[in-house]
Amino acid sequence: MNVHRFQAMGCEIVVAGAEPATVAAVFEEWEDAFSLFRPESELSRVNRSDALVVAVSPLAARTLAIALDVAAETDGLVDPTLCGRWREVRLAGRVLSRPPDIALDLNGVVKSLAVDAAAALIDDEGFVSAGGDIAVRGPVDVALPHGGAIRVVEGGLATSGTASRGRHLVDPRTGKPSDSPWEQVTASGSSCLAADIAAKVAFLLGADGPAWLDERGIPGRLVALDGEIVESTLWRGAVACT
Amino acid sequence: MGSDSRIERARRRARGAKAIIVSGTLLIFGVAFVGARAHAPGHAKGKAKALGAPRSFERAVKRSIAHGGQIAPAVQPPPIATSTS
Repeated sequence: MNVHRFQAMGCEIVVAGAEPATVAAVFEEWEDAFSLFRPESELSRVNRSDALVVAVSPLAARTLAIALDVAAETDGLVDPTLCGRWREVRLAGRVLSRPPDIALDLNGVVKSLAVDAAAALIDDEGFVSAGGDIAVRGPVDVALPHGGAIRVVEGGLATSGTASRGRHLVDPRTGKPSDSPWEQVTASGSSCLAADIAAKVAFLLGADGPAWLDERGIPGRLVALDGEIVESTLWRGAVACT
Repeated sequence: MGSDSRIERARRRARGAKAIIVSGTLLIFGVAFVGARAHAPGHAKGKAKALGAPRSFERAVKRSIAHGGQIAPAVQPPPIATSTS
């Protein structure tokens, strides 16, 4: 399996089983729409607008709808407003209404959605990874933080935490960087998005993270700040089976 | 006294006429209101319901947002790694 690597969305993209140029075009489309580092991205223009109601592109509308669903599903732990005001954001088709003082930040879902979109281009078997957030078609073995490896049979695998960028994950409940006891959390999801959301929520929930994963039947592996590794029930069972 | 009686009788007739007019107006309004609800297309005949996908579909979509994937023990040297970024 040929593996290709390139840079996009501020991280390394690793692709196998799909045409790298096509995958790169997918990431460019998503970055062009949602990067807050690009003043002319659609999201930057929406955030600059003083209008109460704005029309957005079909891609932005679908992504916002997913981001709002994620916020509802996670009780606001993954929040596109980063400040607990996601309920004030309304979307009807492609018409977005929100108080103009709310700045939207879709980084909580955009990278993993782009990975899932790129993975849909895989012809047979392969994978797409963006900075360690992975979607697979067919089984792929993946190295884990702090050693070890796991086979991702279907869906996605993602890791959230403080290992690479310090305390950058904001807890919307406090508006401050999370003081989670975990250094990083890896979760397996039915898609890269599902894995990424699960990893973020388990990280932000701190000591309640393993129970949250177990309640939803999500395999997860949590590395504590002192290096101790805690595995959710399903992760433990999957690794133990032969 | 005769003049007072005539005035009193006139007042009674006026009160009666007012009552008939008010009752008639209310009756006509009520009939028109019920008729409009029953037949006019712009009037709701029942309690309004939200448009959109059924709740069961919404629940299914939301469940898939936080749904576990399938993993197994690794059997080969991994070509990629998961990490924070």
